Amino acid sequence: MSEAADLYVYAVVGDGDYRPTATGIDGAPLQVVDAPSGLRAVVHEHTAGPYEGPDDDVKRWILEHSDAVDDAWQQCGAVLPVSFNVIVHGDQEAGSTPAQQLADWLETNTSLLGPRLEHLEGTTELRVEISLDRAKHVAEDPEVLSLTAEMESRPAGVRRLLSKRLEKMEKDLADRAADGLYPDLRTRLAQHCVDIEEYRRAARDPGLVPVLTAACLVRTAQTEGVGAELTSIQQEHPSLSIRFLGPWPPYSFADMTATEGSMTA
Amino acid sequence: MDEPAAMQPNRDPRATLPDLLEVLLNKGVHLNLDLIISVADVPLIGVNLRATIAGMETMLEYGMMNAWDRDTRAWVQKSLSAHLPLAEGEEVIAKMAGGHYHEGFYRTWRPGTAYLTNRRLIIHRRDPVETLWQAPLASITAIEPIRERSIGGESRTRLHVTLEDESRSMLSAVDPERLISLVRGQLGHSPAAEADELPGAADGPVLEGPMWYLETRAEGGTWRAGHASLTEADGLVWKSPLDGRARVRTSLLEDPRYTLEEHENPTDEQQVLVLDSAAGTTRLAAPDVVRWHEELTTRKGAGDGARG
Repeated sequence: MSEAADLYVYAVVGDGDYRPTATGIDGAPLQVVDAPSGLRAVVHEHTAGPYEGPDDDVKRWILEHSDAVDDAWQQCGAVLPVSFNVIVHGDQEAGSTPAQQLADWLETNTSLLGPRLEHLEGTTELRVEISLDRAKHVAEDPEVLSLTAEMESRPAGVRRLLSKRLEKMEKDLADRAADGLYPDLRTRLAQHCVDIEEYRRAARDPGLVPVLTAACLVRTAQTEGVGAELTSIQQEHPSLSIRFLGPWPPYSFADMTATEGSMTA
Repeated sequence: MDEPAAMQPNRDPRATLPDLLEVLLNKGVHLNLDLIISVADVPLIGVNLRATIAGMETMLEYGMMNAWDRDTRAWVQKSLSAHLPLAEGEEVIAKMAGGHYHEGFYRTWRPGTAYLTNRRLIIHRRDPVETLWQAPLASITAIEPIRERSIGGESRTRLHVTLEDESRSMLSAVDPERLISLVRGQLGHSPAAEADELPGAADGPVLEGPMWYLETRAEGGTWRAGHASLTEADGLVWKSPLDGRARVRTSLLEDPRYTLEEHENPTDEQQVLVLDSAAGTTRLAAPDVVRWHEELTTRKGAGDGARG
């Protein structure tokens, strides 16, 4: 065992004056580890190994973790959030403490982390989930209406078969409609975003067909613009269901490896 | 919905908890401290590489290694070679779930992973580790899709590989068409030119391959890498593997018009393809952009007919 406690890492910031005002997981006092270049990591002293436990505990830890990231983000304006359960050891062989290890890592990666922090300065992550309400969408469709009408007059066995056919018909109609709506929605959303990344999520409600599910990185002042765009989208398409989350620290945009879309020429 | 005020985002943890969990726990996201640290050899515990790997797996499935910088590519090669022995200078180009139809003492599909490298096509199983089938690219004389009916009555496309010793093997892959076109790309055949000779080419794409889409964002344009196909039924379809749906689908457009324009772009071509319609203007870049333009303008009538 190394002498010094390990360090549990929440975030990396560039602001030299940052003093945490929140606490960490299980009320752990937050500290800051400085590197000579000016980058700083928000941590707590940790002795127990990775967090493991029942789901409810994990949920609480995650919220506490995100509170600590949030505090750094609100005060510094730019933050690189670190995912849950990242813990730095000391290196016994080299005789360095966890704080030295972490400071070394910050220093070695200044050329990566610094520009990324600058890029994220003054930005916010918003999450937009636009889905099509299948029942609302197909309510007026002539084919669906005539099949529904036909079902009424049929015996139960046939009705069961027809209801399967109806379900498939509704699904296909909604999916085709979603394909048709997507290009315009993506274009309208993207123009407000510094960066936009779609993600997949488990279907919350089988009656909703996902059209566009995206994490949006916006200039904080642009949050209003995205909201206004979503309002007009909602007004144009009443059968769309819109979920709008945030503002968050740029959780989905701190990644420095997948440089999708960058020019290679 | 008469409310004209802008929609407000919701950050109440009761509503966002599932998303926070996903973001901080499963999908990773975040700063990829783990990735960077593992390269820097700083010891860490409890790290989560899955998210990064998941994103990379998608790109690999599409054979889109070029979308990454050199360091990332090197890191991916290193992590792949931990499971798959590679020769000096051998690079993985694509990776996807696949299998080999074993016709020895017994006949059976053996599942594994299909790897295409710059030297070989391999079906490899990680656990228990075994190379199920492999062939140097130089020995492949033909690779063709064949349709097969599964026990369930579903029609599946398999890969039929012929080697120079005239031996034939049957392989499967999660995206057989793409793997075939990637293999042919490595063999130096033009995938488009060969598509015409394929059995059942009538319903296959006229043209397909990598294409970049210029997206307008708040602070300028970004070329996004993706895959394009041109079919009689759907017209030109462009989709990024990272997106949920296709951004370009010309069969849905009224009177699409195509022109070529000089524009900076990620390919070696000077020109890009400009697509105009009532829905707006779209810029696309592709190797062999002139061929795309030619096919799109001659097939315009067909695309229009498929609408509705």
